[in-house]
Amino acid sequence: MNDETQVIPVDLDRLQSRALLVGIAGLAACAIAAVSNHQQFLRSYLAGFLFWLAIAVGCLALLMLYHLVGGSWGFVIQRILEAGSRTLPLLALLLVPILFGLRVLYIWARPEDVAANTILQHKNIYLNIPFFLARMVLYFGLWVALAMLYNRWSRQHDGSGDGSWIDRAERLAAPGLIIYAVTISFAAVDLIMSLEPVWFSTAFGLMVICGQGVATFSFVIIMLSLASGRKPLAGFVTEQHFHDLGNLLLAFVMLWTYIAFAQFLIIWAGNLPDEISWYVTRLSGGWRIWALALLIFHFVVPFFLLLMRDIKKKAPRIVGVAGLLLVAHWAEMVWLVEPSFPPDRFHIHWMDVAAPIGIGGIWISLFVSQLKKRALLPLRHPKLAGVWEPAEET
Amino acid sequence: MSRNDNQERRGRPPEPVSVEVLAPGHTFATVTDKISSIVLTRRTPLYWLVGLGFALLLVMVLLTAITYLMGMGVGIYGVKIPVGWGFDIVNFVWWIGIGHAGTLISAILLLLRQQWRTSINRFAEAMTLFAVACAGMFPLLHMGRPWLFYWLLPYPNSMQVWPQFRSPLVWDVFAVSTYGTVSLIFWYVGLMPDVATLRDKAQSKTAKVIYGIMALGWRGSSRHWHRYETAYLLLAGLATPLVVSVHTVVSFDFTIGLPAGWHTTIFPPYFVAGAIYSGFAMVLTLAIPIRAFYGLEDFITHKHLENSAKILLATGLIVTYGYAMEAFMAWYSGDKFEWYMTSWRATGGYRLQYWLLILCNVVSVQFLWFKRLRRNVPFLFVISFIINLGMWMERYVIVVTSLSRDFVPSAWRPYSATIWDYATLIGTIGFFFVCFFLFLRLLPMIAIFEMRELVAKAEGGKR
Amino acid sequence: MEKDPLLYGVLAEFDGEHELLEAGRRAYQHGYRHMDAYSPMPIQGMSAVIGFPKTRLPLVVLIGGLAGCFGGFLMQYWISVIDYPLNIGGRPLNSWPAFIPVTFEMTILCAALAAALGMLALNGLPRPHHPLFNAPSFAGVTRNKFFLCIEATDPKFERDQVRRFLLSLNPREVTDVEQ
Repeated sequence: MNDETQVIPVDLDRLQSRALLVGIAGLAACAIAAVSNHQQFLRSYLAGFLFWLAIAVGCLALLMLYHLVGGSWGFVIQRILEAGSRTLPLLALLLVPILFGLRVLYIWARPEDVAANTILQHKNIYLNIPFFLARMVLYFGLWVALAMLYNRWSRQHDGSGDGSWIDRAERLAAPGLIIYAVTISFAAVDLIMSLEPVWFSTAFGLMVICGQGVATFSFVIIMLSLASGRKPLAGFVTEQHFHDLGNLLLAFVMLWTYIAFAQFLIIWAGNLPDEISWYVTRLSGGWRIWALALLIFHFVVPFFLLLMRDIKKKAPRIVGVAGLLLVAHWAEMVWLVEPSFPPDRFHIHWMDVAAPIGIGGIWISLFVSQLKKRALLPLRHPKLAGVWEPAEET
Repeated sequence: MSRNDNQERRGRPPEPVSVEVLAPGHTFATVTDKISSIVLTRRTPLYWLVGLGFALLLVMVLLTAITYLMGMGVGIYGVKIPVGWGFDIVNFVWWIGIGHAGTLISAILLLLRQQWRTSINRFAEAMTLFAVACAGMFPLLHMGRPWLFYWLLPYPNSMQVWPQFRSPLVWDVFAVSTYGTVSLIFWYVGLMPDVATLRDKAQSKTAKVIYGIMALGWRGSSRHWHRYETAYLLLAGLATPLVVSVHTVVSFDFTIGLPAGWHTTIFPPYFVAGAIYSGFAMVLTLAIPIRAFYGLEDFITHKHLENSAKILLATGLIVTYGYAMEAFMAWYSGDKFEWYMTSWRATGGYRLQYWLLILCNVVSVQFLWFKRLRRNVPFLFVISFIINLGMWMERYVIVVTSLSRDFVPSAWRPYSATIWDYATLIGTIGFFFVCFFLFLRLLPMIAIFEMRELVAKAEGGKR
Repeated sequence: MEKDPLLYGVLAEFDGEHELLEAGRRAYQHGYRHMDAYSPMPIQGMSAVIGFPKTRLPLVVLIGGLAGCFGGFLMQYWISVIDYPLNIGGRPLNSWPAFIPVTFEMTILCAALAAALGMLALNGLPRPHHPLFNAPSFAGVTRNKFFLCIEATDPKFERDQVRRFLLSLNPREVTDVEQ
């Protein structure tokens, strides 16, 4: 590290155990509340699950993106991304409460509602419980398989230093990203869009993908800063790495805003009942203020902050922006999920906060334990020589 | 002296890349002389004259079509209610899409610090400019009274009316004119130092004066370079969101309206991807013959062609995603008009065009998964042609099918273009090539000073 | 110390960009301030070495962009709400979502114009003629030559001293430049 002030000292071991405690406490509190308010628990739990799913799958996607296009930005975070992708089995496990609550969450899963609604009958071929379960198995199967392959190749490369493992990783990257884009688009339809099964939007999958990019880059920037005091990252991570990651974060913030606004403008201008009703609930009463806050903290503030070079280069500052964006991403998940349920007016529950913290505690604990398992840089990577070059730092 | 000796002498570590984007052995002087000689000293090649002559013939066709239009009105085109938008809009979207690759190459690749942009950015920017000029003609001609185009702009007038800012067509006016202006600025700023080179190397007095005026007195001062680089970078940063916004606004022309097959939220990103797709296809269509005719294989290397092919593949896949998502949502929405339009496109009166577009845009690009084919120059040339055709077909299918099958079945009418539609399209292709041939002859088609920067990086700057 | 009113400065040609950087650094250390380096392509850090580390151009562009942004939106607001209110499909007069595209385009347009024109204005261009063009070898600056010019307006300027100083930097040649 060039600059001493950049080091945020943190004890990863303590983080791991504390996170686990917080996670168990949060989920236990939610579980107790779930007895009396089952539906609210599932809503809050779904939003929290989506938040952490975004980061875990996002880690896998960025890992593949790095193998596809290369660059020193990805080299320093490769191990963070790999550790993140190894948490995908945990997310498959965490999906189980949702699967047991499908009838509570999704109107299309309730036969009596389907019988009364012709649109739901039309969609029944796609939106039915067996097919939904099959799709979930398929998505998670593909993600876990991709994550396992990448992690195995990386470990084998660490052991032997044989470059052919990297070649494999690079060859799979493009097909892997296609698999990611398609599965996550349909997962977004299944898990989020079908909460209000009348509504539809073709850009929704892309919006979710861009949101995942924002969340994952934010998370990675924070983790890189936390881990940068440790060997071998210490003395290796430079301002330039944070600068590059900050630029990529900025790009995804802009992309998310672009897709989200284009979708809104098209639906707003069309003003068709099936489409606009989704926005009407989300833009009235307290949700209007919530949406405005999303605009400000998911776009305006981080956009202007990330334009400034001084902020992107100094770890504590960019970590602040990344933290803000993570909160904003949580707010987006709540905004996507909660207004789908009655009452129509603004409503927020303490579990909306507790559930993501609960899931997050357990998730982070697993993440840190995975991160500690391997060296923080792939030391045998041939690119290491190239990245050490001062020439690339221009 | 080999490159390694040179680097040792300079005491600098070897730089990455460079090797593949510039053939070894070049110096500041040789890149300058080789590129500027095309403009200044080499004899005008015969194929240039033949090409220009042929393109001028096509411009004659354009002028004839426009003259006839002025006399007769837009009735000479195939547009009839309900298909009020025909070739004009298809061609407009097609041309403006082609322009987008130029901005992408010069702006986005600059921001991403991709060295391979250097030798193709100049002519790609020129391509943008000429494509926007061609695109701009169509909405104006389609108005029937192009001389009243200024009614589109907000200015105080005796009729006491203003443009309607809720209409995407007004957004289009702003988007396209901003795009044209910023592309011109970006291109000209990039040209300034090179025009100064031409000024200093020109032998004839006339050339010296003309290039001298155009160079604005550029003298390579370090303070000037400093501001120049800042300005160029800022322009790149501005052009990048601009290029996205332009095709987004073009897509709003369709999505803000309600016809089935138009009103769908994925249009903005997939139009942008499609624009880059067709634009890179055009870059290859132009770059491959140019590098062969002018012997520029040292500067436009296999690396450039292969990277362009990779971008074709990536954007082609995004476009495919768009088609697939559109079809799925047409079914998922449960909207019978949407689903009818989707199935009618594939099976109805325009199925030939539809399957041609799928063949060109979705199927053919899959060959680019293979490195051997990405490095096969004649194959790339053919495939770039196919994609140009496919992207034109895509716009044709979008515009014509949705309009000819509106919500009222009694109003359904098929569309077919007239000879004047074809004449105008072919004429603009001629106009594009006339501009392009003149550009090749009169201005440096490769950014010389950026090549010198590459030389400095690659060779340590021996002269 | 008498100054020659006809003299613009003393020009020295160097072998390459590294030599030029070194010469600029030495000249600045020596106390010269009114000078400039001339090269066929931008050299990383050259302007900083001779005492020009930062340009105000980003500020100019920011102001241009903000002017375009607010100007663009206010223009649409004034036209659609105040001067020419029309009911279009029941949409509000202040249809702000529909005003975003034009606002955006105006932002970019004004910022880009500010970038290009600001760059030219700060550089003092266009200026078709300049004393440096009197130096016969200076035309090579747009091909492969590298120059450092110490100008006569420098407080420390004294022709023979400057010549001697420049010659000590191992140049290819040193010439006087007339006004």
